[in-house]
Parts: sequence; structure tokens; C-alpha cells
Amino acid sequence: MRLTENHVTDENLYLNRRQFVKGMTATGLIGIPFIANALDFSKNQNYQEKLKLTDPEHALHYNNFYELGTSKEDPFRNADKLKTDGWQVVIEGECAKPQTFDMDDLLKLEQEERIYRFRCVEGWSMVVPWIGFPLSKLLSKVEPNSKAKYVEFISIEDPNLPGQRFRVLDWPYREGLRMDEAMHPLTFMATGIYGESLPNQNGAPIRLVVPWKYGFKSSKSIVKIRLVEKQPLSSWMVATPSEYGFYSNVNPNVSHPRWSQAKERPLGSFFKKKTLMFNGYENEVASLYKGMDLKKNF
Amino acid sequence: MPLIIKIMLFSLLCSLPAWELVWRLLNDELGANPVEFLEHATGDWTIYFLLMTLTITPIQKVFKPNWNKWLFPMHVVRRVLGLSALAYALLHLATYLVFDMGLSLDDTITDIIERPFILIGMIALTLLVPLAVTSTAGWQRRLKQHWQTLHKAIYLLTFLGILHYALLVKADLLQPLIYLGLFGILMLFRIRIQR
Repeated sequence: MRLTENHVTDENLYLNRRQFVKGMTATGLIGIPFIANALDFSKNQNYQEKLKLTDPEHALHYNNFYELGTSKEDPFRNADKLKTDGWQVVIEGECAKPQTFDMDDLLKLEQEERIYRFRCVEGWSMVVPWIGFPLSKLLSKVEPNSKAKYVEFISIEDPNLPGQRFRVLDWPYREGLRMDEAMHPLTFMATGIYGESLPNQNGAPIRLVVPWKYGFKSSKSIVKIRLVEKQPLSSWMVATPSEYGFYSNVNPNVSHPRWSQAKERPLGSFFKKKTLMFNGYENEVASLYKGMDLKKNF
Repeated sequence: MPLIIKIMLFSLLCSLPAWELVWRLLNDELGANPVEFLEHATGDWTIYFLLMTLTITPIQKVFKPNWNKWLFPMHVVRRVLGLSALAYALLHLATYLVFDMGLSLDDTITDIIERPFILIGMIALTLLVPLAVTSTAGWQRRLKQHWQTLHKAIYLLTFLGILHYALLVKADLLQPLIYLGLFGILMLFRIRIQR
């Protein structure tokens, strides 16, 4: 029997890739240089839950990334305005070894694929195979000290980004996590998606993914990570403190003033389905919030 | 061309955006969030038609065109535009009730109570219905001078429609502010005309 590529590649991955390429060709995305080379990664078997993946055509074209524009189509349309050459991530603050990492250094960390649910505060959701590494792996390299109670994430600030000409948000985009949330095994730094490196509109070259929190907590295009003693203010908390709290855990029982959070609409579908507590990661993360009133700590 | 044919053609023209949505629906061209697409499109067209309805009187006062020569009487033009606004508003409501609320009365009531922008949208749409019902010449005759007073409700409901949109937006208020600006200009005309 002759071996063909199908025999070598995991069939599931093979099919996903075919579907991905199909989607890319259909939308004219293929051939654009920012979809760089395929990444070297393994599938983490603990995070291959059998969920129906979102059509990449949707996940790569329907984005909230206000640096590239406020409409859902803007980030894809303006993707070339984001320059990722020579990207570095600075980690500083309460730690023994503050460091600046080049993207190459970060890509040398073992890259794994994880299928996660992703839930936006606006009531839509998707299921995406991310590629990257746990944030804890990176943070342990700088040796956080005992004063490091919180982690602040700071995204790119660049006057060439079309969305940053307007102060719709307090730029640069800032987000934060409590130290134990940041060190949680689910908290992930993504460098790729659907088997490829991260496209610009999805937050290239490196972004955070916190699957049990609303999507806006998952900062895109991160340039700096600060270990701090006090709870940081996120850009959304500055914009509308009554609507956006620090925790922003997916919680079907606590509604946002504009969106009931009880249900969600998976991208591509017409009808809604029930939202799960902590976006389905209750077993893993509920203990982080033991004894806390999640209505107050929204 | 007989008047009725002209009116039918004009109505058909006003319905084109709805046909575009049907085409997109059938060809899977509604994007990643099809329901949001339908809601935004029908909401935008409702506001466009309300604003167009409000431009008829200023056009009349400033340019004094002979509507009969080009189309049909001014009040008929205005009526078709106003009824089109109602048609898009009803499509907007239907999309929301079917796909967002899953036709659940409980969920809809909760949504109206919890979210001011939904309540405001509902009020705006409710106000539009009596205007549509009394848009005919028969009702105009029967209501006499009250007809004009009643139909001034369009000012309020257009404003509420724009407010409904502005309250929904997360951070970028540009588009609702453009609508508000156009509405403001149209209202200024009316203040100046009356003086």
C-alpha cells in the first residue's frame, strides 16, 4: 500500500485544514502574506473536546478589534495596517527577572493546539482551535514575587492603526487578571488559530485567551505584560464602569444592561442556545471564585 | 401612466432593500451573524425611510416642485415612504421576536423591562402604527385638524428610533449621531418654516 499524505496526517486535522483552505480560498484570503507559515504544534489531548468548530470564514472575518475599526468587518479589511515585524513582548513589574521576549523566543516554547469555546459579551459565540502555550509557562520565566497580585495586559498603540485615530476607548487597550486566574492552566497565549499563525484581525502575533470570561478579556496584539500589586483598570472599565467590571466571567444568571447573557448565538446560526456557567468551564474554574458574589463582582 | 401603477412602481422601489435581504438569505450572504445583519439592515432602513418622510415638507416649501408632474401628489409620496418605514420596522420586530426571543413572551417581557433601548424601540414602533392606519385621505377628512396634530408624532417617534439605536451601541456613536444630525437639520427647517 502506498502512503499518501492522508495516511500521515491525523485525519481530523487533515479535514479541518481542508475546510480551512476552502474557506480561505472562497473569501480570497489565501495568498495574503500575513497568513504566514504553518506552525509547529501538537494537539493537547486534554483540550480536544468534541465540539463543532466554527467555520473559519466566520471566525476570521467577524471580529471585535477596535484598533482596526469598530464594525465587525473592519479588522479584516484593515488587517494590513497592523505591522507585526520585530514584535516584542515586555514583561515587567513585580518579578525577579523582568525580560523582553522576541516573537521567536515565544514561538520556541512548545506550541499546542486547544479547542476552546469563546463567548462574546454581545451574545455570540464560537468554537476555535487555538495554538499557543499556557500563560503560566511564560510568567514563571520572569519569576513573579509575592507582591504580584494582578497581571495587566497592554496591547499595541500605533498612530497608523485606523481605529486609534478616534478615542472610542482609552488607548492602548488594557486588560487584567488576578494572579491565580493568570496562572490557571486554561489561560492561554495564542500564536495561531486553525492550524496557522494568527491573522492580524484576530490579534497577531500574540494574544491572550481566557475561555471562561467574555471575549474582551482576551487581549489582542499584546506588547506588554505587567505584574502589579493593585487591581488594574481595563479600558472597558474606564469607558463604562457601570457595564464592565473587572472579572467579566461568563455568567448566564447576570445580564448586561444591553444583553441578556442567558443565551448565545453560535456564529453562522440563526437560533440561540443556552449559555453555560463559566462558559462550560465551571468544573475547572469555579473554585477561583468561592465565596464571591458574582453579581457584585461582575 | 395611471396613478395606481405609478404608486405600485414607487412602492416596489421602496421594497428593493428588503428583496436584497431575501436574496442574501437565500444565497447564504448574511455573514457570520445573520440575525444581527438582518436586524441592523431593517433598523437602518426604518430610520432612512422616516428621515425621507420628513424631507418631503422641506422640499415642498423650498423648491415648490410640481409633484403631480413627476410622480403623484405630495401627500401620496409621503404616505408611501411612511408606510415603507413601518414595513421595515415590522420586519425588524419580527426578526427580533423570532430569532432573538425565540417567540417567547416571557423572554420578550423581561427584555423590555430590563433593557431601556428595547422599551424605547417598542414605543417608537407602537407610535408608528396609528399614523399608518390614519394615513388615508378618508381618515384625514374624518380627523380634520386633529390629523396634523396626530401625525406630528412622527417627530417624537423618529427621535426615539434614533435613541433606540444610540443606546444599543457599545462605544462608537458615530452612526447614530449622523442620524441625529440629519434629524436635527430636518427639524430646524420646520421651526424656520413656522416662523
